[in-house]
Amino acid sequence: MTTRRAGVAALVLGLVAAALLHARVGAPPLYDGIIVPPEPYRWESPPPDLRAGNKPPLSGEATLPVLNGQVAGGGVQTGDSQVVMYFGPGAFKAPAGATSVKCTIAPDPNPPAPPAGVEIRGNVYRVTCVGQPGGQPVTVVSSYHLTMRFPPGAFKEIQYYDGSSWRALPTLRAPGGDPYASVNAPGFGEYAASAPTGAPGPSIFSDLGRYAEFYGILAFVIIFGAIAIIQEVRRRRQRAPASPKKKRR
Amino acid sequence: MILVGLAAPRRAARVTGLVLGAALVRALLLPLGDGFSTVVFGGCLLAITWFERGPSTSEARWGRGRAIVAGLMVGAIVLAPVVSGPLGARPLSAFWSWAAIAALIAALEETSIRGVLYQRWAGEAGTVAAIVVGAAVFALIHLPRYGLGAMPLDAAVGLALGGLRALTGRVLPCALAHIVADWGAWFWA
Repeated sequence: MTTRRAGVAALVLGLVAAALLHARVGAPPLYDGIIVPPEPYRWESPPPDLRAGNKPPLSGEATLPVLNGQVAGGGVQTGDSQVVMYFGPGAFKAPAGATSVKCTIAPDPNPPAPPAGVEIRGNVYRVTCVGQPGGQPVTVVSSYHLTMRFPPGAFKEIQYYDGSSWRALPTLRAPGGDPYASVNAPGFGEYAASAPTGAPGPSIFSDLGRYAEFYGILAFVIIFGAIAIIQEVRRRRQRAPASPKKKRR
Repeated sequence: MILVGLAAPRRAARVTGLVLGAALVRALLLPLGDGFSTVVFGGCLLAITWFERGPSTSEARWGRGRAIVAGLMVGAIVLAPVVSGPLGARPLSAFWSWAAIAALIAALEETSIRGVLYQRWAGEAGTVAAIVVGAAVFALIHLPRYGLGAMPLDAAVGLALGGLRALTGRVLPCALAHIVADWGAWFWA
C-alpha cells in the first residue's frame, strides 16, 4: 500500500470511527491532557459583583430500586455537577412498603442561619431521600459519600444541618487546588461549604503561586521552543553549503 | 546500510518507550499538581522531539497552505458531532491563556508522535505500522487522564491524525487539527 493510500484510508477510517464514538460520548474530549477549567460557580444568591452572568444552580434526582427493604447502591448529582453523592448497597433502609426510593439534591433558597462565627460559602443544598409510593422518609444506616464544589475564596470545611443545628464534618479537599471537598455524610438534611467569618480568601502568595505555575508552563515551553527553532535554523544553514561538496565526491 | 537497517528498529522502539514513559511520569506526578506534571510532560516531549529527530527524508509533502487548510478541516470534522450541543458558560476572557497552553502541549504531542515516532516507525516498518503505532501510543498516553472509556475515541482520532500525517507528509496539519479539537472542549465540554 502506498503512503498516500494508507494515509487516506487511516484518515477516513479514523474520522468515521471518531464521529460514531463522539455521538455516543456527546462531549469533545481533550487530546492533550490539559484540564478544562470548571464553569463559573452557580450561585443561588450571588454576591453583587457576580450577579451579572450568574446562572442559577441546578438540582438533581435519581430513583433507585429497593431490594429486601434495602436501597440498592447508586449515586445522584446535580445537573451542574456542583454536588455529587453516592452510596453502597444497604447504606439506606427504605420505609415499609416502598418499592423504590427517590433521592434529591436541591439548592435551598431559604437555608437555616449559619452558626456563630461561621460563614456559609456558596449554596446550601438539601439532600433528601423518600420511599415510593408514600413519600415516607428513608433511614440512613451507614454514612454516604458527598462531594461539594465551593466558590472561589475562603473555605475550611463542609457543615451539616440535621434539622436542629449545624455541625462541621471532617472534610477532605480535592488535591491540586480543585474547588471540591468531600465528606462522609451522616444523614439527610442541609449541607454547605463554610469558612470562619472574616477568613481571608486566597492570599496574594497563593494567587502568585497559582499564576507562577500557570505561566511557568508557558514560559518553559516558549523558551525551549525558541531554543529549538534557533537550533533548527542554525542546523539548516550549516547543512545548506555542505551539500554541493558531497555531490562532488 | 546494514548498520542503519539494524539500528532503526531499536530507535523506533526507543522513541515509543520514551513517549509512553513521559506519559507514565506525568501520571505519577499528577498528585503533585496538574501544572507541575504538565511541565514535566511537556519538557519530556520537547526533549524526545529534539534528541530523537532523524535526518530529513525525501517524503513527498503538501504545500504549507494546502496542509494548513487540511488540518483545519480535519479539526472541524472531529468537532462537528458536538457543535450542535449547548455551549458551556466558561468566559471567553479566560480562554486565551488556557488555549495557549493547550496549543503548546498539543503541538508537542504531535511533534513527538506524528513527528519523531512516525518517522522512525515509517523508516523501520512502513507507513501502516507508523500510523497504527502512533494511534496506539496516542490512546495510551491519554489513558491515565481519561480512563479506558475514552481509549477508543482517542485511538480513532490518533488514526485520523496519523492518516493526515501520511497524506500530507507534514506534522503541521496534525498539530492544527489537534489544537482545533482541543479548543472545542472549552466551548462544548
